[in-house]
Amino acid sequence: MKTTFQVKHAVGGRMFLDTNKEAVPYTLTPQGEGWLFTVHVPWSEKIAELLAHKQELNVFIFKEFEDQPTLKTWYYIKDGPVEYDTDQESLTIAADSRIEYYPHEYSV
Amino acid sequence: MIDVFPAATRHSADLGWLRSQPSFSFGAYYDPNRTGFSVMRVCNDDYLAPGKGFGAHPHSDMEIVSIVLNGLIRHEDNLGNSVVSSFGEVQRMSAGTGVIHTEFNASETEELRLLQLWFMPRERGQAPSYEASRFDTAKLQNALLPVVSDQGLEQTASIGQDMTIYLSKLEQGKQLEYEGKPGRKQFIYMIEGQLLVHGETLATGDTAQIEAAGLLAFEAKEAAFFMLVDMP
Repeated sequence: MKTTFQVKHAVGGRMFLDTNKEAVPYTLTPQGEGWLFTVHVPWSEKIAELLAHKQELNVFIFKEFEDQPTLKTWYYIKDGPVEYDTDQESLTIAADSRIEYYPHEYSV
Repeated sequence: MIDVFPAATRHSADLGWLRSQPSFSFGAYYDPNRTGFSVMRVCNDDYLAPGKGFGAHPHSDMEIVSIVLNGLIRHEDNLGNSVVSSFGEVQRMSAGTGVIHTEFNASETEELRLLQLWFMPRERGQAPSYEASRFDTAKLQNALLPVVSDQGLEQTASIGQDMTIYLSKLEQGKQLEYEGKPGRKQFIYMIEGQLLVHGETLATGDTAQIEAAGLLAFEAKEAAFFMLVDMP
């Protein structure tokens, strides 16, 4: 199984983080009724842009399997918080809820 | 004050299956000085090839309006909606806490043209919802016909924002007026034709952003089909 983590701008889809393109260590843990992403990534203009649009993020986990269709999970960030710790070089994104979906289940 | 953005100065994208002219930053096109106007974040004039479309993807906290200008659009979402709309119909999706949807050209032969409009909602975190509405296309003639509104007007789609979207088809030489209330802003998109607005000429594909204009006077220099959006 291949897992991809992506953070995109919800308006138009500009990519801020994509583990397909650049591997970054991250963890995803339950937090209260939601989830917490912790990403170890150095400060960059992309991170600055991500933080500038922290109320408009689409956060995904894609799970690609060899013998079954890809499962996509989208996380609703709402008010986050979405924060960056410069000392730890750590980005945290708190998600409020999530929706799992199989793209192939939608007709074309 | 009226700012005109001629069609020739706007970005255009051609992906083969999709030709699009966004009024504001969208997708690969990013201009930090063009990210929206008032509560409007997206105004794309999209042409979709037969059978093609946007696969399953999510949205949240956005009021999304699709106005079909030509052809057929098929909408499907995780709320259980599956709807085909044509000219004279409008679909509004309030993304709220999250919705997954697809939008496809429902025809295998005819190109689909639609205006894809996104607006920031009055309140974030609301339950997602979808509505398709129908208006009488004959009423577009020489009038500003509301097609989306939060005022509960007849034959309009509702929306979770203090705003109204009007469409109008103005015959050559005909005039209309619109009273822009204090503190409100207006956005005009010229779908087709040529229109004189407040002394400025707008042609096909042009947009105008208007603030504190008071009484707006429209005159069709040639047959004009346009959209007026009144926002906070």
